[in-house]
Amino acid sequence: MPLHETEAIVLQSYPLGEADRLVSFLSRSMGRVRGVAAGARRPKSRFGSTLERMSYVRIWFFERETRELVRINQCELIESFVDVFKDYAAGVALAVMAEVTEAVLPDREAGDPSFRLLLLSAQAIKRHMEIDLPLAYFALWTVRLGGWLGSFERCARCNKQLAGIPAYASRAVSGVFCGNCRGTGMKAISPDALNAGVKMLADRLDKIEASNIPKTALRELSRYSLDLIEHQIERKLVSREMLETAV
Amino acid sequence: MPDFAPSITRLIDELKHLPGIGQKTAQRLAFYLLRTDREQALALADAIREAKEKIRECSVCNNITDTDPCFFCTSATRNKKTICVVEEAPNISAVEKTREYNGMYHVLGGALSPLQGRGPEQLKIKSLIERLKGGTVEEIIIATNPTAEGEATAVYLSKLIKPLGVRVTRIAMGIPVGSDLEYADEVTMMKAMEGRREL
Repeated sequence: MPLHETEAIVLQSYPLGEADRLVSFLSRSMGRVRGVAAGARRPKSRFGSTLERMSYVRIWFFERETRELVRINQCELIESFVDVFKDYAAGVALAVMAEVTEAVLPDREAGDPSFRLLLLSAQAIKRHMEIDLPLAYFALWTVRLGGWLGSFERCARCNKQLAGIPAYASRAVSGVFCGNCRGTGMKAISPDALNAGVKMLADRLDKIEASNIPKTALRELSRYSLDLIEHQIERKLVSREMLETAV
Repeated sequence: MPDFAPSITRLIDELKHLPGIGQKTAQRLAFYLLRTDREQALALADAIREAKEKIRECSVCNNITDTDPCFFCTSATRNKKTICVVEEAPNISAVEKTREYNGMYHVLGGALSPLQGRGPEQLKIKSLIERLKGGTVEEIIIATNPTAEGEATAVYLSKLIKPLGVRVTRIAMGIPVGSDLEYADEVTMMKAMEGRREL
């Protein structure tokens, strides 16, 4: 029964039994893991507020070969995001990020880039209480890390440069197409959104100035990326509907 | 060949629907019920049937009750100027245990939780706002759970209610009585410091 220690971000937690919690977390070294925190719902629980959603923690847990769920032994808070949830829109954005991470990442597959992406995006929301840029960045990079993103600079079929000309895309096909190559049912993507996408794929989130990109372009990019994610996971994201009404 | 008689299998399947009950526990409970007196087992079945038939939501506060409006909403001795807002009906008994609170209640039916598809529309917020329009209520105490969802709900409600001229308060958060400061995490300690009061 080995003891593991790792940094993690709490994605979701559900009440379990009388006073326990079932916790899903993204660990830096072991990927997405689910475990039980015994007594975590009691007022004097040693876990305190550490298992709240999106908490960035150092976690200790036991693993047993025959059990899918690990036993969470101890948890120390590195950074809390509880206060972000006081802003409804910011809370919904964090919920979308947690749901996407939970949906796209397989169990127990280490993915340091996904961990850093989630942490960086959540920290950006906490710092600026602005959701459009971090959410678009997170969704776009999730698609990129999943391997479902084509080039934003050239037509996926004829390789024509897309700078400044109308471009089209569909959730079912990766890549962006020029007017001549567009298929039926493809939606137009604005040049602003394409430019923003190119910039986001080239730079770190904290190096990108939100005021230089129109909000409509960021939202368009988020919608496009979330559409691709929903197509890949073959279901609608529950929290996405709330996002439409929150912003 | 099936493991058990069809009626036992049905009982096990029904028990498995209860939260926290798996196959083994369901089997154990089913065989316990079969071993007990007929009267005892049927009393349990009757209690479930009676509760399901008589219990409903109070049309005023959404508490679970067998009379509509509920005991709290009809009581002449309770203070109608204060409403304590809780997430679920069982939370009322936690507040009542203190014997310190003598006001009214309002049950929201959960907290804002985008991951569970629960937004403002899914909570009983409209009926709360309706209750405030009479002008009788002077204070709303928000007693949602001290979780991220509970905090989000509290802040959301306060933004809606404050413009109506009603005082909005939040139950205190921080160190539990009988615990040790040494083991408090940063957020709990910060909440305790924020909510400190003069002695």
